[in-house]
Amino acid sequence: MVGLKRNVVVFGVMVVVLAGLLSMAVYRRHMPHTGEVAAKGKPAPEFTLTDLAGHPVALSSLRGKVVVLNFWATWCPPCKQEIPWFVEMQKRYGAQGLQVVGINMDDAGDLKDVARFAAENGVNYPILIGQEAVAQQYGGIDSLPTTFYLDRKGGVVERFIGQPNGQDEVEKSIRLALGL
Amino acid sequence: MKPISQIACALVALLPTFAVAQGSAPNITVAPVPTIVVTRGGHAQLTLEMRVNRGFHVNSNHPYDELLMPTTLRLNAPDGIMIANVKYPEGQDLVLPFMNNQKLNVYSGAFVVTADVRPARTVAYGTERVHGAVKFQACDDRQCFPPRTVPFEFDVKVARPVVHKAPKKNADSPHIHP
Repeated sequence: MVGLKRNVVVFGVMVVVLAGLLSMAVYRRHMPHTGEVAAKGKPAPEFTLTDLAGHPVALSSLRGKVVVLNFWATWCPPCKQEIPWFVEMQKRYGAQGLQVVGINMDDAGDLKDVARFAAENGVNYPILIGQEAVAQQYGGIDSLPTTFYLDRKGGVVERFIGQPNGQDEVEKSIRLALGL
Repeated sequence: MKPISQIACALVALLPTFAVAQGSAPNITVAPVPTIVVTRGGHAQLTLEMRVNRGFHVNSNHPYDELLMPTTLRLNAPDGIMIANVKYPEGQDLVLPFMNNQKLNVYSGAFVVTADVRPARTVAYGTERVHGAVKFQACDDRQCFPPRTVPFEFDVKVARPVVHKAPKKNADSPHIHP
């Protein structure tokens, strides 16, 4: 009888521990870590990066728009998979104030590949050349894709790490940021 | 084993899965390489046993998409020791969810890379250390991680050839016939 009770307690503890680990895994996928610079509900850190044509683009110049900051690279298949979704979202919601911005994290020597990929895929939004310092401002981009959804005031509405389940999930986040 | 113990063991076995889900970093480990013993002018095979940690994959040496980064070795052999004919294994085809049937060619779990070690005829006898590195770019089914380089090293011993002495001819031997 005592042995049975002990087994039940051990089993219960293990279930609770595993449930906790699973919850943390799900939480980490969608939420920024405490103390990061770009955290949900906080203003997105300001930056100025150059686009593929060499023109500087400041985040503050997009104030008043809902901005999607998509960190990506050409060596990242899930990133390339979701780019057509962002192209479609820019077409669909651009008139309502959406501005998608790609922040490319390829090495500087690979920018021709980046430009070629963007052209081949009909990218209709600016691609900026990423810098490690900016990645650090956004909490350190440990993996790609990582996408930040900003509201019209420049506040972080959501950070999403990894590829979403589909275009619908991207659209849901964009509509939320647009207040639709 | 009691049913409760079996359940407990099963739950413990699932722990690595949760660890991966929580964001452990991808890595390749290279098993220690025993000293390669080879003679001047001879050759021996280098066998590198590598393993991608669970939950991740890396591009093979020949990914289908030219923009993807292949897994490659860099070997800095000392003067007089040539390492050539590096052979990478075939990758496995992988189609991830939400990838529109786009095939990737990857290594996951254990894989082996081999090469030939060939000391020159003039190299000094002794042991030399070879430094190498494997460069890879890993992903899981949803995200990709920046390229990494993992160093490794092994020793090559250039040994004197073993001389097998021929048995002396003995004129008195009863086995020798005129």
